Amino acid sequence: MTSNAALSVSDLSLAIGGAKIVEGVSLEVIAGETLGVIGPNGAGKTSLFNLISGLRPVTRGKIYLGDDDITNESPASRASKGLGRTFQTSSVFTLLPVLENVRLAAEAAMGGSMRITRRAYSFKPAIAKAEEALAAVGLADKRFTPAGALSHGDKRRLEIAIVLASDAKVVMLDEPMAGMSVENVPVLTEIIRSLSRDYGRTVLMVEHHMHVVLGLADRVAVMHQGELLICADPQTVVKDPTVQSAYLGKSL
Amino acid sequence: MEIFITLFITGVGLGALYFLVAAGLSLIYGLMDVLNFAHGAFLTAGAYATWYFTTYVRADGSLTSYAISLLIAGLVGALFAVATEQILIKYLYNRHIDQALVTVGLGFVAASAYLGWFGTDPLVVLPPVDLYNVVQIGDAFVGLDRFLYIGVAAIVLLANFLMLRYTRIGLIIRAGVENRNMVTALGIDVRKAFTFVFFIGGFAAGLGGALATTYASGVGPTLGDSFLIYAFITVVIGGMGSVPGTAIAAVLVGTTQVLVNYYVQGLGDFVVVLLLALVLLVRPQGLLGKVVR
Amino acid sequence: MNLLPSKYRFVPVVLMLLAAVSVFTPVVDDPGLQQTFAVAFLFAALALTYDLLLGFTGLLSFGHSLFYAAGAYGAAYAMARWEWQIIPATIFALFFATAIALFTGATALRVKGIAFAMVTLAFAEAGHVIATLNLWGLSNGDITLQLRPESVPEFFLGVNNTRNLFLLSLITLAIIYLAVWWLTQSSVGRVWQALRENEERVSVLGLRPFSFKLIAFVLAGVMAAFVGVVAVIVTNNANPSMGSTGTTISLLLMVILGGIATRWGAVIGGVLYVVLSQRLTTLNTEGALSSFPEWIGGPMSEPAFILGVIFILVVMFSPGGIAGALYRLKMKFGSSVK
Repeated sequence: MTSNAALSVSDLSLAIGGAKIVEGVSLEVIAGETLGVIGPNGAGKTSLFNLISGLRPVTRGKIYLGDDDITNESPASRASKGLGRTFQTSSVFTLLPVLENVRLAAEAAMGGSMRITRRAYSFKPAIAKAEEALAAVGLADKRFTPAGALSHGDKRRLEIAIVLASDAKVVMLDEPMAGMSVENVPVLTEIIRSLSRDYGRTVLMVEHHMHVVLGLADRVAVMHQGELLICADPQTVVKDPTVQSAYLGKSL
Repeated sequence: MEIFITLFITGVGLGALYFLVAAGLSLIYGLMDVLNFAHGAFLTAGAYATWYFTTYVRADGSLTSYAISLLIAGLVGALFAVATEQILIKYLYNRHIDQALVTVGLGFVAASAYLGWFGTDPLVVLPPVDLYNVVQIGDAFVGLDRFLYIGVAAIVLLANFLMLRYTRIGLIIRAGVENRNMVTALGIDVRKAFTFVFFIGGFAAGLGGALATTYASGVGPTLGDSFLIYAFITVVIGGMGSVPGTAIAAVLVGTTQVLVNYYVQGLGDFVVVLLLALVLLVRPQGLLGKVVR
Repeated sequence: MNLLPSKYRFVPVVLMLLAAVSVFTPVVDDPGLQQTFAVAFLFAALALTYDLLLGFTGLLSFGHSLFYAAGAYGAAYAMARWEWQIIPATIFALFFATAIALFTGATALRVKGIAFAMVTLAFAEAGHVIATLNLWGLSNGDITLQLRPESVPEFFLGVNNTRNLFLLSLITLAIIYLAVWWLTQSSVGRVWQALRENEERVSVLGLRPFSFKLIAFVLAGVMAAFVGVVAVIVTNNANPSMGSTGTTISLLLMVILGGIATRWGAVIGGVLYVVLSQRLTTLNTEGALSSFPEWIGGPMSEPAFILGVIFILVVMFSPGGIAGALYRLKMKFGSSVK
């Protein structure tokens, strides 16, 4: 493994009942970069995320976080080692207030600070961190709103605040723009950009909006039918003939 | 050894009764994700139907009357089950916990209704005299009724197998257990399959109820509930949604219970639960169950 | 810092209510009524511990009665057999219940959802079998295990002291209420509430769902065991029906009727359930149902029948139970005033 890879997978595969969902994907995410993953529906992008975050056991292959082999670790243990993610369908805790959603992530990241004897709201460091993350995504004034009552766009911001507060070194964003209205896209794009620029996070993102990915990502990986077609800088990817026929040719 | 054979066959007979309850539970759960706590009430309904029929309609104690009463018990169980699905379950589509809760409530209501109608004390049901015969196997003597339970369960198992294998509705059920969304996406109305599964589940439970009156020599308001718990254990051990798994588990649970209960007084019921814990530790999805996603 | 003011506002109200009830207790001078309410408070407390699992953690357990019975039998056995006093017997009972909860919880939590419900049911049934069949001479060969009078202070004994039992139950309810309130406000309590909604989400935050669920399971079990100990004092015995599935199902009914995950919903549900059960039975013996034809009058004379029907209606038409209905009423009322 090269030492500057924050996250790498080799020959990663997932087969369900004979169907190859993810097949032989090898990929390195370099520390500090933003890597976009694109591909048509059913290309295996979300499955790839589920494998990396540990929600699905791998059929074959290895996953490394830095130099650490995390292939067989539980989702929780991967997360505590600095791997964070968001979900495609917004999955914030709807009944808890916005601040509480973020505070939980912050407290979880502070390792072993969960206490049954302490009232949730009396642990200042976690609250401070949560408030900071909320301010960064522009949700500070909605911190007492139940997360379920947020608009769709605000839920997506909240998702990002959660990974921000969780101190994850490597952040995986699963379609952060899904369902966003056009005028909200630039704002969220800026927030995502700040993840690597201002907070030094390594970002791996799946995204459908081509122009968002091309504008944000340092490198772009293209998946098609479970396989990785190419992983290169955006210009090369756009010009690549196999990509054009597999993906760009149809949807652009 | 003779004792062992007698006990073993008795255990398989008890397992057959568990199977009759558990098969429906397993299919209903597998297809609809509904844990049916009212299943015991279906069984009890069948048992009371048998009591009524063999006491008031044809009290001649003949095998024919008994056979008719089995059929009636099955139909009563099936009707009760279909009514449950149509009146309660249907309207809570996709609210799985609420569906389970409603069946809990129904089981509760049914048990107290039986209590109000028939009283606390078990009503005696006399099976045909011929069933009191014993069969000699080697040096062991086994009650004929045990073979009846096993035979009926085997027929139900076979019918289930043929239905699932060779009929269109069976195909839909099998596919639905595997992946319900896929079946719905193909434009097939799964709801008919839901009602059908309740029908056959209720029928099997009603049959089980009729036979249980022979096994327990009568019927009380909580007859079904006492079977239900072991049927649950059977379903979990066998693997949710798998009828063959349920059959294997039923035999395992029945024989374990009877054998251990004989050799260590009263411990059999307890050991069955330990068996469940063991299976869960080694194989959480059950013997033949699909892996829980 | 008062971050969630409205969340705390009702706590002093509840405390004042409890204080008021205690002050007016002497007014309730009928030992029969006092006994009814003592039992009602205990079931309310038990329902609260169940709500911690079902409402706040999203765990549908059908085996909660196991811990209630474990507490009751643990204490009653230690007093009757080893002639221990009530305090050490209580401590023994709590440790006993903890051990059982750890083992059964760790096993049952390997599966989720409905399978979890079935497994907990099976464990409780095992406990019930032990108590019913009197395995290992649990109850001296009797159906019930009687309270040994020498082990408890005199002011808890005899009909003349029913008022003290009433107060004991009330205090137990208050303790459990505060404990559940505290737990659900704690860091860990918030993780439970997060787990109820989305377990995967919790796991990718770096928290192991299993551990947190096990903590909830064990704590709810230990609190139920404590209620069980008090129940031995109040009802003078430990009996097999405490551990039956029927007990758990009535807890489920109480929590759903009162309103899930609201704490006071469970309290209202518990008190209402017990009082209604007794009241409906009285109604029947007074002949109020004689005008009904037999086929409907028979079941109607069983309180469980009516409660079960109400329960089904609540699940189908008013998911939030009484608390939910009141909340909707308040919302409607509040908005029309403004």
